[in-house]
Amino acid sequence: MSRRIIILILLFTATLIASFTATIILNPATPSELKGLAKYYVLNTINETASPEAVTAIVWDYRGLDTIYETLVLYLAIVGGLAMFKMSEEALLKTRIGLTLLSKTSTKIVALLIASIAAAIVFHGHLSPGGGFPGGSAVAVASMIIIPVFAAGTLIEKGVSSTKLVAIRGAALTALGLVALLPVVKGLEIVTNQRFYPASILGLPISGSLSLYNLFESLAVASGFTAIALYLSIPEEAHKGGSGA
Amino acid sequence: MVVVLEAFTYILIIAVLGLNALVSIYGIVYGRSLVKKLISLTILSDTVLVAVIFAGFYYAYPIVPPVYQDLAGAGREFLVKHASDPLPQALVLTGIVIGLAVNALIAFGIIQAYRLAKTTDARKVVEVLSGVEVTE
Repeated sequence: MSRRIIILILLFTATLIASFTATIILNPATPSELKGLAKYYVLNTINETASPEAVTAIVWDYRGLDTIYETLVLYLAIVGGLAMFKMSEEALLKTRIGLTLLSKTSTKIVALLIASIAAAIVFHGHLSPGGGFPGGSAVAVASMIIIPVFAAGTLIEKGVSSTKLVAIRGAALTALGLVALLPVVKGLEIVTNQRFYPASILGLPISGSLSLYNLFESLAVASGFTAIALYLSIPEEAHKGGSGA
Repeated sequence: MVVVLEAFTYILIIAVLGLNALVSIYGIVYGRSLVKKLISLTILSDTVLVAVIFAGFYYAYPIVPPVYQDLAGAGREFLVKHASDPLPQALVLTGIVIGLAVNALIAFGIIQAYRLAKTTDARKVVEVLSGVEVTE
């Protein structure tokens, strides 16, 4: 055995012994009920935000401004990553050979399944566990299995360019900002939900602005991560012959 | 006995999280390859996220998601006794996506450094890119 494994085993044993002695000496009382703040959220979310789901209510209503700035951080990180590459798509067009027909067909089926699950996560995000972030990530997973199987060059020929993806992302972020800013017109605070947006339209519960936020956020996350996957799929050979570093 | 076991598991999880953070910080500081540093960073961020989730943990059975099943008064009482804490979930939800974006940014940087320096060894990258020799 190498030294590293022995050190790891020693560390694990020390952790076990330390926690055992700490249990005997301290004998701590483990928490057995919900914290006060969480109780407030769980009890009042249906009245204050018209959403039965406390997590979405916290993400987009109670701490809505927080989440909007986090979306901005996400946007800047992705734009920074893409700007660092400055790739022309000629390098990507060289990679046109995907995998076999078998894997292409099965990927089509699997990607369709993932996309439908993602749609369910997004559109039910204000009623059941889920929302914009997980739904968008699920769509990104679908595109991440599509890109290696069908090859990035084929996708670009079909019209899926990273410029378009970043444009979708910018549009979704603008729409998200508009949804947040619209209540200011009537003199309410920014990111107001229930005092401005209706709780349901035509009998469909939409929980005010929460479903809109979920929709735009999922678009932004999905297009952003698809653009990243597209850029990261450039093979090194294509890069060397391409536009240069 | 059960109470002691509950307390032991509770402390053990905290200790293992601490150990995990320790090992990943070691990886970030002493790892030579930039890729291994990035892997350690993701382990550290996941450890922190698990710790945040663990802060909202409490013993109850069964645990249900913090979603209204029915709007009657009995449903409320059940939810307060059995719902999982929604606040850490909301924080972790955004934290995961932000972490993913930042990791992608770092990955872009590492790939670019590899293309310029033809290595991911942190010291050699600095040597090649700046011309300054790195000494221990």
